[in-house]
Amino acid sequence: MKPNRKSTVIWIQGITCNGNSHSFLNYSNMALFAASFEMLYHPLLFTAHTLESLLEKPEAFDFLIVEGAFTKEARYLQRFGRSFPEILEPLANKARFIVCVGSCASFGGMFRLRDPQKISGALFNAKEKGGYWEEKSNVVNIPGCPAHPRWIAETMMALREEKTVLLDECLRPKEIFAYLAHHGCLRNEYFEWKVDCKQLGEKEGCMFYEHGCLGPNTHANCNKILWNDISSKTRAGSPCLGCTEFDFPRRALYETHKNMSLPQTPYGISKRAYYTLAGVAKSFKIERLEKKLIDEDH
Amino acid sequence: MKITKEIIERIEGEAALEVEWEDEKIAFAKLKFFNYRGIEEILRKRPLYDALAFTPRVCGICSHSHALACVRAIEACFEHAQEAVSLSQKARDIREIALNAEKIHNHIKWYFFSVLPELEKIDNPSYRGEAFKKPRWFLAQHAITETLKMGAIFSGQWPHGSFVAPGGVTCAPVSLDVLNARGILEKVIAFCEETLFGFSLEEFTGFDSAVQVMASPSALSWGIDTMIRHEFDRLGRSHDRFLALGDSFLYEGALKSAKTTVLPADIKYVSESLAHTFFENPTEGYTYSKTAMYKKSFFEVGPMARMMVAKEGLIRDFHRRFKDAALTRVTARVVECAHLLVQTKRLLEDLDIHEVSLIPPKRNVHELSAEGVGVVEAPRGSLIHTINVRHGVIEHYDIITPTVWNLGNGERDNLSVVQKALVGLDSLTKTDFIVKSFDVCSVCTTQ
Ligand code: SF4
Ligand code: SF4
Repeated sequence: MKPNRKSTVIWIQGITCNGNSHSFLNYSNMALFAASFEMLYHPLLFTAHTLESLLEKPEAFDFLIVEGAFTKEARYLQRFGRSFPEILEPLANKARFIVCVGSCASFGGMFRLRDPQKISGALFNAKEKGGYWEEKSNVVNIPGCPAHPRWIAETMMALREEKTVLLDECLRPKEIFAYLAHHGCLRNEYFEWKVDCKQLGEKEGCMFYEHGCLGPNTHANCNKILWNDISSKTRAGSPCLGCTEFDFPRRALYETHKNMSLPQTPYGISKRAYYTLAGVAKSFKIERLEKKLIDEDH
Repeated sequence: MKITKEIIERIEGEAALEVEWEDEKIAFAKLKFFNYRGIEEILRKRPLYDALAFTPRVCGICSHSHALACVRAIEACFEHAQEAVSLSQKARDIREIALNAEKIHNHIKWYFFSVLPELEKIDNPSYRGEAFKKPRWFLAQHAITETLKMGAIFSGQWPHGSFVAPGGVTCAPVSLDVLNARGILEKVIAFCEETLFGFSLEEFTGFDSAVQVMASPSALSWGIDTMIRHEFDRLGRSHDRFLALGDSFLYEGALKSAKTTVLPADIKYVSESLAHTFFENPTEGYTYSKTAMYKKSFFEVGPMARMMVAKEGLIRDFHRRFKDAALTRVTARVVECAHLLVQTKRLLEDLDIHEVSLIPPKRNVHELSAEGVGVVEAPRGSLIHTINVRHGVIEHYDIITPTVWNLGNGERDNLSVVQKALVGLDSLTKTDFIVKSFDVCSVCTTQ
C-alpha cells in the first residue's frame, strides 16, 4: 500500500568516511525519491531541522538511516558533544525502520579493526550476532563499502509501500544480496574455462585464480545493476574485494588465498564438484580464450 | 576575556570552534576535530597492496585522490628499491581523467550543496534549505551524478573505486567507451555553462577580469554579489602564502607562492606536527587534527593555491582586488572547475587506448623493503601519503591531508591558515562561513 504522505527520514553517522552519503547522492532518480521521502536531517546537507532540535523532543518518524560503525565508547566517537548512544538511542526508539547503510553500520566494517571489542555493526560484530544491540526487530542491513544508491533508495521505497522485503540471515534484502558479484561479470567465460588473467590492466582472463577476486563468494548485484549506472570493479579490471560481506576487509585483498595451491571454492559449491569441473575445464586449451579479445592484426 | 564555543556543521562532519574574544573581536581561535578513525594504525602490519583498498576509505568524497596518492607512494617504494616503474601515457591520462571527475564533482557539489545554501541563509535567516526540494538542487545533483558516471567508465565505481595498481591502471576501455565518456562530459559542461558560469566554457576560461564574470546572471555571479554584500571580499584573508606540491596541467613541478611571487617548492621541507593533539597529550590536547608546515610556516593549499601558483588570469585579478579573502577562495574553486572541464575534454579526445594500461613491477612485492612518498593535488589541495614497507608488509603509513594544511591549529605567535583567517572577525555567522570557505572535510582532517 502506498501511503499518502511522505515518509520522514533522519540520517545519522557513526564512525564513518561519509562514503554512503556520497554514494546515495549519486542516485539517478532522486526526484522520485524526493516525491516520497522527506529528509528531516542529513549531516552533510542543509536540511530543515538540526540534530539538536530533533533530539530535544524526539517524535515518531519513519526511517532512521545509520551510516558508520557503532560504538558506546565516547573516546571513539562524539558528535555535538554527545556520545553515539546519546544520539542514537532517542532516535532509534522513535523510528519505524532502522536501515544500516554500508558495511560499517551492518557489521563494523573497516573501522571495526581498530578495536573489534568495542566497535561493531548494529546487530552484528563481523559475523557474530550481537553488535551494538543484541536484538532489534526493525533493522535492515544494506552492506557494501559503500552501499549502492539503488540498494538504499529502492529498499526504502519497498519498505514504505509495505512490499515484502525478504531478508537473508545477515538481514540483507534478498532481491539484492541473493546475487553474487560474479553474476554478470564480463569475465565469466574465462572463469568457466579457468583462464587466469596474467596481469591486471587487460580485458582478458579471470581474476579469481591469482588476483584475489571475491566475486563468486560475495553477495551483491554489482554486475547486474552496475555502479554509477555504467560499470563495476571487475568491469574496470579490478578484483571484487568482497565489500558486502561481514568479513570485509579481509587480509591480502589482492592475492588469492589458496589451500594446497587451490583457490577457495565459489559460494555454495562443494569442493568435489568445483575441483572436478575445474580439472576438466583446465585440461582443455581453448584457443579463442587464450587470444586477445580484440585482435588488432586481423 | 570572553570565550565562546560553537559547532561548525555540514563540513563532511562537524568541528568545534573555541573562540577567544577581545573588544568584540576574535583574538584567537581553536578548531577541534574529535572523530579519529585510526586508519594509519589499522594499516600497520598489513600487506602493502591492502593500502590500495583501505586508503580510498579515508574519505567518501575524495576516494580516488587517496587511491592515487597511495599507488604513487607504492611506486616510489619500488623506485627506491632500484626498480623503475614506468607508466604509459594512457595510464597517466586515465588516472588524471578519473581524478578530474572527482574534482569537478567536488566543486559542483560544494558550490551548490554548501556555498549557495550557506549564503542564502546569511542573506535570509528564515531560509530552511533546498536539498531534495528546489529544481536547482536536482539539476546540480544530476550534474554530479553524470560527472562521476563519466569517471566510473574508467574507475569502475565512485566512491571507493579501485582502478589503479603499481605501474598503471586496471581498466582497458575500448574507443566507444571513451566516446560515451565524452558525451556524458558534454552534459556536465552544458549544466556548468548554463547554471554555474553563465557563459560558454570557452568565454569563461578566457576571462581575466572579475567584472566580466558579473556580466551574466548565474549561480556564480549571484554568489559573488552576495559575498560582496556581506563583506566576504574583505574577510577571511589569511597568510597569502600558497603551496601546491602535486603535479597539475596548470603548472610545472611543485610550487609555492608568497602573494604573487611564485617559486619552486620541495616536499623535503614539509614537516608534520602533533602539537595540540590528543596523540601528543591525552589530557592537554584538544583535537585529533595534526598540523603540517612548510619550512615551519603555514601555507594554504587548495584550488586558490593552485590558481595562484599557475598565475591563472581571472583569479589573479580577483586576488589583485580582494587578496586571499573568502570571496577569492570560493571563486577559485569554480574557476578551477572550468579549467578541469576543458582539460578533461582534451584528455578524452586525445586518449590513445591502444597503449598498455599497466606495466607491473617485476620485483615480487613480498620482497620489497623501502620508503616511498606519493603526492596528489586532491580537490582540497596537496595530499601526501608516506609508506615504509618491509618485505611487503607496511611498517608505517602516514597521511597528510589537504585539510590538515588549512585547518590544523597553530600558536598565538604563529597562527595557522584558518586561525589567521578568523582573527579580527566580529560575528559568528561570518566566522562560520569563513571556516567553510576552506571546503572543510572533517573526515579527511582526522582520518
Ligand atoms: S573476475 Fe571475479 S567476478 Fe569476474 S568472472 Fe572472475 S571471479 Fe567472477
Ligand atoms: S564488486 Fe565486490 S567489492 Fe566491488 S562493490 Fe561489488 S561487492 Fe563490493
